[in-house]
Amino acid sequence: MIPVSYALNKLLTAVARQHQMKEAFTEEEMAGHDLAPAERAALKAGDIGALYELGANPYLIRRVFRRRFTI
Amino acid sequence: MAEIVAAALAAHAPLITGRPEVSRPEQRDRLYAGFHELGRRLAAARPDLLVMFVNDHLQNFAYNNLPAFCVGLAETYEAPSPGGAALMRLTPRTLRGRPDWAMALLEAGLEAGVDFAYSYDIESWDEMSVPLSFLLPGGEVPVVTVYTNCAAPPLPAPRRCREVGAFVGDFIRARPRAERVALIATGGLSHWVGTPQTGCINPDWDHWVLDHVTRGDVEPLARLTWDEIERDGGNGGQEIRNWIGLLGALPGAKGEVLAYEPVAEWITGCATVWVQP
Repeated sequence: MIPVSYALNKLLTAVARQHQMKEAFTEEEMAGHDLAPAERAALKAGDIGALYELGANPYLIRRVFRRRFTI
Repeated sequence: MAEIVAAALAAHAPLITGRPEVSRPEQRDRLYAGFHELGRRLAAARPDLLVMFVNDHLQNFAYNNLPAFCVGLAETYEAPSPGGAALMRLTPRTLRGRPDWAMALLEAGLEAGVDFAYSYDIESWDEMSVPLSFLLPGGEVPVVTVYTNCAAPPLPAPRRCREVGAFVGDFIRARPRAERVALIATGGLSHWVGTPQTGCINPDWDHWVLDHVTRGDVEPLARLTWDEIERDGGNGGQEIRNWIGLLGALPGAKGEVLAYEPVAEWITGCATVWVQP
């Protein structure tokens, strides 16, 4: 099993449901979310590989960070 | 008595209809031909109802509530919705549900120990819209959905998907009314979506799956583990649970592969398979 981060998936689900796409997250957009420091850093950097390793659902990564993918 | 008069397995991916121009024309033509042939055979079978084994992509079920199996009780399905239509380049349309039929399935399942969740409001994405744009171009046949969690691990075991499918098949065959039911499962084959391997396709695994489907040999598919599928078929390959569910409903039925194309530009190993019920 891959790790699952509820905090990451909760935030990404909320963004995905508003049909928003992001290159990266700002501190303001992450405010109020109970994210670990590594999760916060990965969102801020738009690091899709790190987000996957930290337990973000890849379908949500794909939807929110679509422009980060080369294919 | 009700009978299963048709069955089909087909890929779903938004780019199949959303970005046809990026694919190689010969691959696209062969795959589209497979979809259209499924549509012709389905129409010839004159179904009264489509029962669809499909999966959510987190548009309905989020991490605060994730059913392993969910029966759709919706009166109607937007397939696609106006928003999804732009992405998939399809005309928005509304398909009729059969909430009465779905409720009967749900109640029978709960009575028999198949603990389905249920939903009156399902937002369908490519899992319904893309294959049905070929298979049900007129949109005239009502649909019932059985959603299986294929996208948010931990997932139900493939062997359990087969058992749930077997229950659905038995339920249909035990219906006292004369009904002609078609089964459609969508998803797969190998694809990696949103992971570091995004864009990979594994045709060897896809052919392995299709060989078993062709022989009607579901057991090795039902024995697959999440790890094995993730390694060989990717996170998108987990959607073969829908196929295994359908095949569970038709014990011994053999598949006929009408098309298989590993379409790199659509990041998916795409197949269309007719299953003779």
